[in-house]
Order: sequence, then structure tokens, then C-alpha cells
Amino acid sequence: MNAAGTRSRAIAKLRTVMDPELPMLNIVELGLLREVEVEEDGLHITLTPTYSGCPAIETIVAETRRVLADLGPVSLRIAHAPPWTTDWITEDARRKLRAAGIAPPAGRVAQPEAVRCPRCDATASEQVSAFGSTACKSLWRCANCDEPFELLKLI
Amino acid sequence: MDAVESPERRAAFEARIAAGEVIEPKDWMPEGYRRQLLRMMSQHAHSEVVGMLPEGNWITRAPTLRRKIGLLAKVQDEAGHGLYLYCAAESLGVSRDEMLDALHDGAARYASIFNYPTLSWADIGAIGWLVDGAAVVNQTLLAKCSFGPYARAMLRICREENFHRRQGYEIVATLARGTAAQRAMVQDAVNRWWWPTLMMFGPPDAESANSEALMRWRVKRQSNDAQRQWFINLTVPQANAIGIELPDPELEFDAESGNWKSGAVDWDEFRRVLRGDGPCNHERMAARRRAHEEGRWVRQAAQAFEARRRTRAPREISTTPRREPAHV
Amino acid sequence: MSAGLLETVASQPAPAPAPEASGALETQRARFEWLLGLADDRLILGHRLSEWCGHAPILEEELALANIALDLIGQAQMLFELAAETEGAGRSADALAFLRDSRDFRNMLLVEQPNGDFAFTIVRQFLFDAWDLPQLEALCASRYKDLAGFAAKACKEARYHLRHSHGWLLRLGGGTQESNRRTQAALDELWRFTPELFLTPVLPSMSSTSDASEAHFQETVRAALSEADLTLPDAAPFPALRGRAGLHSEHLGHLLAEMQVLQRSYPGAKW
Ligand SMILES: [Fe+2]
Ligand SMILES: [Fe+2]
Repeated sequence: MNAAGTRSRAIAKLRTVMDPELPMLNIVELGLLREVEVEEDGLHITLTPTYSGCPAIETIVAETRRVLADLGPVSLRIAHAPPWTTDWITEDARRKLRAAGIAPPAGRVAQPEAVRCPRCDATASEQVSAFGSTACKSLWRCANCDEPFELLKLI
Repeated sequence: MDAVESPERRAAFEARIAAGEVIEPKDWMPEGYRRQLLRMMSQHAHSEVVGMLPEGNWITRAPTLRRKIGLLAKVQDEAGHGLYLYCAAESLGVSRDEMLDALHDGAARYASIFNYPTLSWADIGAIGWLVDGAAVVNQTLLAKCSFGPYARAMLRICREENFHRRQGYEIVATLARGTAAQRAMVQDAVNRWWWPTLMMFGPPDAESANSEALMRWRVKRQSNDAQRQWFINLTVPQANAIGIELPDPELEFDAESGNWKSGAVDWDEFRRVLRGDGPCNHERMAARRRAHEEGRWVRQAAQAFEARRRTRAPREISTTPRREPAHV
Repeated sequence: MSAGLLETVASQPAPAPAPEASGALETQRARFEWLLGLADDRLILGHRLSEWCGHAPILEEELALANIALDLIGQAQMLFELAAETEGAGRSADALAFLRDSRDFRNMLLVEQPNGDFAFTIVRQFLFDAWDLPQLEALCASRYKDLAGFAAKACKEARYHLRHSHGWLLRLGGGTQESNRRTQAALDELWRFTPELFLTPVLPSMSSTSDASEAHFQETVRAALSEADLTLPDAAPFPALRGRAGLHSEHLGHLLAEMQVLQRSYPGAKW
């Protein structure tokens, strides 16, 4: 198979690697996958973790190796620079988050927006806690429907 | 919400439940239903918070950086679950402070499993694998319960509990293929946690006090014994796969029902721990009360500061916004 | 992440610039120890914060303290990997964290001080954060690319940390008489550890930090204290002990005894 074919097969497989803490999202739409290159010595994959102390990265690396196993040799690199940003989360992934009851990061780093309740869409929400159950979230409560919900923090 | 309970209202409510509708906080509900939900949700929130103690016990001694990060993240998740559940339970009209008071004066319960000590690092693996595994079974069912906020909370929390279960199993599996000392450590941990985990699903169906009404209201979707069996069937093959023995000589596969039949659970032990006479009941409650007491001045300071900020009293000289802006 | 999981076959991370390139008399040992200092600060402070777990004054703070501890320990892990690579002796990040004795730790005294009450923890954290954020911002321009990459990520986290500790400093300072008294006492106690923050040698291959960072720190602290109704203590004398030189308070040995117990008790075991 040619390089372009291998590359797209690899990406298709990587779309089946879900983030263990946000299992509705795969690593491609979450923006963790930075590079896929086909070289003579095999596939070169670059991943960028969300946070320094992200406990999920081990699982993601193991899964990545597993799904790519039949595409030949793989070398995997973890790149911390440039740092991951919520701007890399795709539009589609933002819809999936909302459908799962998690408010997607409110806007882009450059243009923050008001927080909308993922259940009733009201913008009248108050922050309960700046830190949520995982490092990437904060906890909010909707003043309209009373629903507590998590917000993926803008970084 | 009008609290008057007429037979018509009750009948209409029961009909909604029977039709599989989801009940929301602002809907009318019988007082009994509200009380049961409040009991379950606050008990669940308390369990998440008390559960931080046995696991927190090993954060400072975790054997590698990766394990330290994993455990710290897990315990933080549990705190997050607690906070989320308190918020969801508040929609039933009781404040978090009132729920905490009920915990501290002994009126409210938390899961008895957390009254057992964590004696070795392997206990952290055993808790993740078995206790979070049992929680996943229970919460998968609760995610289909008739009260909307609880069902949605369970859906969210269950995702993370599943991750905990996988991490716990991975710790156990690593130890099981480790040195002789590690294998002994992990077998000992499983020996101690297995039976208390089976007790987490509650007393046998014949003795379960709240079961009947909860099943009718579709709060509970499967009986205690059925959930226990489900958990055992899931777990036995996992234990076999890594050469861990479950401490039950009577455990046996029944080809006819497709179930792993277990020996008898020591329900006297269950009742003893529930009564407050378990190995760590005293320590757990003392630790929670102490944290609450010692934190009082902090909470008072935050309140006083917030009150002054609102009334813009003279001591307030800052121009820094105190509320987090919405985009943070 | 453990080195074992991530065999970097193709793109080896760029090594720290060699001494010739930096144009200064830097030994490999000095660069290694410099990175260790940065890593040890984070590991030890993260460890201290994690001791709060289950005992914080309010549930929101359980989350916040655990979260910050997690960031710091994650940062330490990345730095240990850079340090291990710089040393080139085949030691792993875990070996650096769990198999060194207290004389070989390079963290500053501030971060090893026991938690005390919540005010003490907050003041310790605020002093660290106010020092750390400008340092990390400067490190983003480090010519050691992997370190610059680390700093870019850590900066984002440090901003959240400073916002948290600064917010609580204001709340405690401006809350009740009791909270103000406790916070002032913590400040008076901890101030003596601040001179050490600015004694780290500047290695041209690593950092471009200059005197500006001390001025920046003083300004952040002065502004926060006045807003919080707290009094800046008198200038502290030159420290009698130096964590960066491996001369620690007696507290560190106890912390390490606890932290390292499994690695020390079961030599060679995999966890
Ligand atoms: Fe939980
Ligand atoms: Fe859990």
C-alpha cells in the first residue's frame, strides 16, 4: 500500500482510541493526535497529552500501539510542545460532549463565551467549583433547570 | 411544589413511573419517593467522600510516579463525584450543609465497605478492581432509574468508575506477576476485600427493607442478589486470568444457570459493620468530623469575605474580580 | 509516562545544549542538578499538598488541592525525565524520585515545610506560585527546546494555581479576625524561606531568568498582601540552610521515608 493509504488507514484506526476519561471522544477529535507520518522505518506518531498529570496518557499510548499493531513498526513520541489547547477539539467533538451532558469549552481561547447548560441551553449558570473531578473540568450549576454539569475548561 | 398527597396525584405519579417516564426535581412526587431518593443520593455522596480516606492513605506511599499520579487522580475523581452528587441531591430541597450535618451526627450512612482498612499497596489495586467494579454494576443500573438527576449523575460518574476499575485491575495484575512477596501481598488483599465487596450489594433479597417500593418506583432496577450474581460472574474469569484465587472454597460454575455459585456471605459481619462496629468505623467518622471542625474557620472566613464583597464594605479595596469570569 | 512505554525510536528529544554551545563553564553535573532542583520543588510540594487528601476544610478544596498536586507531580515527572537524560547514567525518573537520599534532593526549603493549618498551606503555595509563574514564563524562551516545551505547558497550569492561592490569600486575609491572624502568622513563619527562591544559579543553557524575576515576585506579593490586609514581614536574613545544595530541614527525611518506603523495602520490584 502507498504512504497515503497507510496514513489514512492509521488515522481511521486511531479514531477508535477513546480518551478513558472522556470516553465519548477519540484522540483524533480531542486533538491529542498531532502527527502521523509514514517513513521507511514505519509509522511515526506524535501525541500531546492534555495536562502534565494526566493519568489517561498511559492507557492511550497502550491502546494506540494495540490498534496500530498490524500496520508494521510504530514509533511513538509524546510531545509537550506546543501545549495542548481546547481549541484543538473539533466541532463534532463539542457536539458529542454536549450530548453527553458535559459543556464543551466555552468558545476559543481567543474568544471566550458564556457557559451554556448542556441540558436546557440557558446561559444563567454559576460556578460551583473551579476544579472538577478531573483536572480538565470545572463544576457548574444551571440556574434555570438546577442541573449540575461539568465544563471542559478553556486552556 | 404542592406537597399535598391525594390518591389521584399518587395514582397519576405511579402511572408516569409505570409508563417509564423520567421524574424531574420540579415535578410532583410523593414524599416517600422524595425521601428515598434523598437518602440514596446523599448516602452515595457521603460514600464518595468517606471513600477518599482509605485510598488517600496510600497516596504518599505510592510506589512510582505513575502510580502516585493515578491514585491521586482517582481520589480526586471521587471528591468530584461527591460534589456532583451533593449538587444533584440539593435539587430535592435539602442543602449540602444539612446533608453533612446528618453524616457527622450519625443519622446518615455511607457505604460500609469504607470501614475496612487499607493495609498494603495491593489494597489500592483490590479496591479499584473489586469495589469500583461493584460500583460500576450498581451504577449502570441506577443510570436507568426514574429520577432524572440521579440517572444522569450515574451516567457521568460511571464513566470514571470504569476507568478506576481498569486501573485497579492493572495494579492487581502487575502484582500478580511480580515477586513472591508481591504475589503474597496481592492475594492477601483480595482475600480481605472479596467478601466485603459482595456485601456492598446489600442484604439478601428476602431481608432487604427498602427493596419493594424502590423496585416499583423504578429506582432500583434489579434486586440485590441479582446484582451480586452479575458482579460475581464478571469477576471470576478476571481473577482466573491473572492467577488470583478468590477466597471462597465453594465457588463453583453452575452450567445450568450459567452462574458462578458462591458460598454463604457472613451477614453477621455485615450487620456488625453497619451498626458501627467494623474495623474502621470509628476512625472514618472521627477523620470526617475533625476535617469539618478544623475547617470551620476557613468556611467562616470565605463567607465573611463573600458577604463583605457583596455589600462592598470599606475593607474591600480591590479591583480584582472575585467571581471567576464565565470563560474560566 | 514511563520511559519503557515510549521508545522514542525516530525523533530523539533534543539534548540540552553542550557546554561549548552555551559559552559558559557549565558542567553536565550542574545542568543535571539545576533540572533536579526544578523537579524536586514540584515533587515535594505536590507530595505535601496530597497529604491534605480527605482532610480539606471544604469539598471544593479537596478537588483544588488534589488537582494542583497532580499538576505538580506530573510536571516533576517530565522534569525528572529531562534530568535523567541530561545525566546520561541510565537512571529512570522513578529512580530519581524514590532512590535518592535527602542530601541528594535539591528542592528549596519552602516546599518541604509541613502543611500546618490551611492558612499555612495557602501562604506556602502563594509564595511558590508567585515565584514559579514568572520563572516558567521566562523558561518558555529557554534554548533547551524540551525545557521550553515543558514550560509552555506548565505555565498554563501555574496560572490556575496562582489564581487559586491568590484568591484564598485574599479570602483569608480579608475574611475574619481569626483567618487574618492565622494567615499573618503563616506569613511571618514562612517569609524566612523566601530569600532562597532567588539563589538558584542562572545557567545560560537552561534559563534566561534575571534579577527582574525577583522584582516581579516582590511586586506580586506586596500588592496581594496589601489587598489582603496583611503586613509584609521584615526582610529575611540570608538562609542558614540551602535546599539547592542538599542542606535541608529535618522535615524532608521524614517525608522521603514515607514516600520511598515501597521502593526501598522491595528492591528491584516492578509496580
Ligand atoms: Fe466515585
Ligand atoms: Fe471510583
